[in-house]
Amino acid sequence: MADHSSEIAEHHDDHDDHGGIGKYLAVFIALCILTGASFFTCSDMWPFKDTPSVGWAFMMAVSCTKAMLVILFFMHLLWEANWKYVLTIPAALMSCFLVLMLVPDVGRRTNRYSEERLIHAADPLVHGAGHDEHSDSNHGDHDGDHHDNHDVETH
Amino acid sequence: MSDHDSAEGSGHIHLQYQPALPMSNGKVIMWLFLSTEIMFFAGLIGTFIVLRFGSPTGSWPAPHDVHLVEAIGAFNTFVLICSSVTIVLALEAARANKTAQAKLLIIITLALGTLFLLVKMYEYNSKFSHGIYPRKPHSLLYDKADFYYVSAVRDQLQNKRAELDAEENRDDGQLSDVDQKRLDDVDTLLNGLVRWTETRAAGTDDPIEREMVLTELARAIYPKPAHGGHEGEHDWLAARLDRERQELESQLPELEEQQRQLLAEQADPGFASGDPHRIAEVEGRLEVLTTELPMIAARLKAIPLMLEDEHGLNERFAHAGGFRPWLILPMRIPSGNMWASTYFLMTGFHALHVLIGLIVFVLMIPMTLNAAKAGFIENIGLYWHFVDLVWIFLFPLLYLF
Repeated sequence: MADHSSEIAEHHDDHDDHGGIGKYLAVFIALCILTGASFFTCSDMWPFKDTPSVGWAFMMAVSCTKAMLVILFFMHLLWEANWKYVLTIPAALMSCFLVLMLVPDVGRRTNRYSEERLIHAADPLVHGAGHDEHSDSNHGDHDGDHHDNHDVETH
Repeated sequence: MSDHDSAEGSGHIHLQYQPALPMSNGKVIMWLFLSTEIMFFAGLIGTFIVLRFGSPTGSWPAPHDVHLVEAIGAFNTFVLICSSVTIVLALEAARANKTAQAKLLIIITLALGTLFLLVKMYEYNSKFSHGIYPRKPHSLLYDKADFYYVSAVRDQLQNKRAELDAEENRDDGQLSDVDQKRLDDVDTLLNGLVRWTETRAAGTDDPIEREMVLTELARAIYPKPAHGGHEGEHDWLAARLDRERQELESQLPELEEQQRQLLAEQADPGFASGDPHRIAEVEGRLEVLTTELPMIAARLKAIPLMLEDEHGLNERFAHAGGFRPWLILPMRIPSGNMWASTYFLMTGFHALHVLIGLIVFVLMIPMTLNAAKAGFIENIGLYWHFVDLVWIFLFPLLYLF
């Protein structure tokens, strides 16, 4: 281990010059551009209108980039000592576990619907005729071409 | 841990005793708190994600179906990003002992946070005024167009009718022109929309036809908007209703003529002493016609009403003037209640966090924000950036997905 006192001193020296208004403004502009980029996905010029999953992946990538910018620069994590990993990595992993644990019960709940529940379930509905926005996420009995909601009657 | 002397004695290891992490206790606590907050919001956002993507194909409302405006969400994102910059600049100013500048930046952050909440309030209000609430009895969202849904529409219309009747009685049988028009509309819809739909749906054995009739009612009240050049629900409805109107208009004179002939036959003096089978047939047919003809008339009156606003009856009521729509009919929005629960839960908790941040900013205004307070400003700054961070994920998930 290196001499800790000198590391702390270094760390404090860091404090005085790591920030800087220029750097914060650069991050601010980047955040604005990235917000514009995710907003762009719902404009008419977005080329992947027919495959919404491309837009979703793009928006999540943009959001993660924005989050990293905020965490690294505004929350100064870029300049912090190694303790940052102790807090952030377990919290991030736990968050992922939490989402994964919800998948069997909540995410796939419609796969094992009883007839009774299907009768009262939401209509699988499509936006405008012949435009299946969610064509890539099929779920159990509900998959296929539900281009109108009278199909439900047949269950 | 060994002390310094013995470490030095070993020649190459230099260990030093540290009583705590090399930062203030406040910052440690804040980071610990934030790591629990990450998991708290991960639970909420994660539930939304699995609910939204686990719902049956196409049964989750698009942002426009529930009156979410992307531009407003993007504006609020921008407001929060600005406030993140001002708070980090306030910290830099406080470290440099520029107290006046730090205070000004905190006040700007406070103003931006307040602006965010005001926009949020405006958005919540636009949901409430369209009958979108997180729970019943206020919520008017239904998952599918079935008989329960139709009876909910009828209940709502009958309640409005009773309300207008009570008003009429209170004002000695006099309703204002506006209220009289509303009463007429309610009657037209009760007969030409609800009763017509119920009779038609109950009268058919074909499940597909029944579904179409019920869907027609749901779409007349709350059609989905057309997206990307695809045919919208209003066009579908307009085409169907137009066909129906032409059919009914051509049938009507024929049926009226039939009724006239039967009545004339009944009025004939020799009719009562005639063939009993014929008497039963004429009376039966007349009975059917006396219920059917007013219903067709009511339907013909209701069809133009249903097609008046391409955004449906609810929008028509909303644009009739006044701060709130005078009538909101139950809407068929698949998974709308689930959407409302998750939307209000996530944005509500986020707004609560914003509010707590604003309270701290207010408390900071009388303080002298110099280098001694830098640690405190850093901690509240960390909290505020986290609030911004949550919104960074909420914005695309709620407004753009």
